[in-house]
Amino acid sequence: MILDAGWVLFIMAALFLGLGYLGVPVPFALMAGVFTAAMLTPVSMLSMVGQLFVGLDVEPLLAVPFFLLVGELMTSADVTRRMILLAQTFVGHLRGGLAQVVTVFSMFFAGISGSSTADVAVLSRTIAPEMDREGYDPAFTAALIASASTIANLIPPSIMAVVYGATGNVSIAGLFLGGVVPGVLIGIGLMIYSYLFGPAGLQKPRATLSEFAIAARHATLPMVIPVIIMGGILTGWFTPTEAGMIAVCYIVLFLIPVLRPAHIKVLPQDFMHAGLLYALPMAAVAGASAFGWMLAYLRGPDRVSDLIERSAGTDPRMILFLLVVLFVIVGDFVDAVPAIIIFMPIISRLTELGGINPVHMGVVIITTLVFGLITPPYGLSLLMASKFCNVRFSRAMFASLPLYIVFFATIAFCIFFPDIVLWLPKRVLPESVGCFKAPGGAGYICPS
Amino acid sequence: MSDRRKIVLERDRHHKWRALDPLEALLMVLCGIAIGGFSICVVLDVLTRTLRSPWLWLQELTSAFFIYGSFLGMAVATRRADHLMLSAISESMTGRLRSLVEIFNRLVILACGGCMVGFGWQNFLHGFGSYRMPSLTPLAWWYLAIPIAGAFICLFALEQLINGWRHGFPARERAPEEQEHIL
Repeated sequence: MILDAGWVLFIMAALFLGLGYLGVPVPFALMAGVFTAAMLTPVSMLSMVGQLFVGLDVEPLLAVPFFLLVGELMTSADVTRRMILLAQTFVGHLRGGLAQVVTVFSMFFAGISGSSTADVAVLSRTIAPEMDREGYDPAFTAALIASASTIANLIPPSIMAVVYGATGNVSIAGLFLGGVVPGVLIGIGLMIYSYLFGPAGLQKPRATLSEFAIAARHATLPMVIPVIIMGGILTGWFTPTEAGMIAVCYIVLFLIPVLRPAHIKVLPQDFMHAGLLYALPMAAVAGASAFGWMLAYLRGPDRVSDLIERSAGTDPRMILFLLVVLFVIVGDFVDAVPAIIIFMPIISRLTELGGINPVHMGVVIITTLVFGLITPPYGLSLLMASKFCNVRFSRAMFASLPLYIVFFATIAFCIFFPDIVLWLPKRVLPESVGCFKAPGGAGYICPS
Repeated sequence: MSDRRKIVLERDRHHKWRALDPLEALLMVLCGIAIGGFSICVVLDVLTRTLRSPWLWLQELTSAFFIYGSFLGMAVATRRADHLMLSAISESMTGRLRSLVEIFNRLVILACGGCMVGFGWQNFLHGFGSYRMPSLTPLAWWYLAIPIAGAFICLFALEQLINGWRHGFPARERAPEEQEHIL
């Protein structure tokens, strides 16, 4: 090796971040770092370019296009309005009614799409103008929409969970189920904050039973999608990929023809756009996979995990805490998908070291990374929401600062109460969290 | 229809040659075909397995659609400037410094595309020694997606480089609906 491994690691990381912030797209910034590192090591360029293919040739990643297609079709066909109306009948009468609607809708939408930015786009176009008319501060609106949109990556189906499960060899269904607790906690936290500290908005009467029944009837067809996705996975009928496919078939063959028949002629465009849309994270996955391989070759995971081990020993809570600190910093600067893949060797090593349940670790990491969607300088959801709501990013950022408490509390909860996070996966899919059938056939034996 | 959903984007027109517009349109159509074909393959796979006469080669076709869709999408996203970006410091720059940084960025993309072509082609040639089960199709045909995408990436990077050199890189802020992110 021409240079010491530590120096090569430094050059590779500096190139990635430096080029990335200079404006080179993430996949190429990753490749530039890796290819340069390959030139400084005995690793052949041939194998590094081959690694771009290996990173994508992972069966569970096939689910990503479907979950994106579902979100794309639902948003493009404008079916989501029905779910907003349903959310309005639930919580529209509370103090800060529209703010509550934002959060409740995000929880509904999270069950369909798994994409935070789709959520931001829908909310900013539909509810944000209403909130503006009711006198909500646009900075608060942007901060709330961005924060609520993070739920999409926690409540199943979650694209982050698919990528995490695929690269870390962790049960995706287990991660889906484990993500429910933090997703709901963030939702409840945002609702409590909006109720106690947010703008009051206009006081509206509580929806009558018949209004609720009408809204529920209109939203029934879209709300079947989460049932298809999670029902199929949990009953063991479908893999996540197949569940996504069934949801797409349901939307294309039934939902759109029934609810928005005029949209059928636009479907080819939707497919083309979704085809491009799924290639974007996959390009980052390809680059990040080569980057992660090189990182492992240069013993990067050993260095970081040694560092964490020296501070935390084998105490699982301390390890999780230090990883959260690491990922809060990483999430501020790097996209979640490449971050998961690049750091997976480190995560796997520390999961083993601390004897942490891999699903628990995954839920904590994903919850931490979704927080990165609203933190500067690379808070993607907040950036988008502030632009949509026509408010300066700095103002939106200040308005979002109090909401950080909700995220910190949720992350702390996930660290300290693994049994509650893992309760749902243990109940519904015990094998996903490492439980196995008791020899007598009655119940399951689960690792402590 | 919002601009971002158009098959050929008008955004950054000064960086594009009209002659390459049909290529962008073709690649977008291929992306649509890839995700459509991929979806149909998964449907047929589930159906044939349910009917207890699985067509095992469907899984190979699914992965081919997925891989080609990913790499062709990566190529067309280069022309449309749709890739995931960290915050681009260069966009806040103006004048000569901005031009230099933008040219440097395109050169980095060009170099990466060049590596994909050169080493991807060698991988393709080596790929005839390994096979995908059960059809025993050489893995080379999957590897081929990399040099193909690399060639398009080089072409689009060159297009932007030449046009940027001629017409400059005026500062502009991307509208929120133009941002293509998935998380």
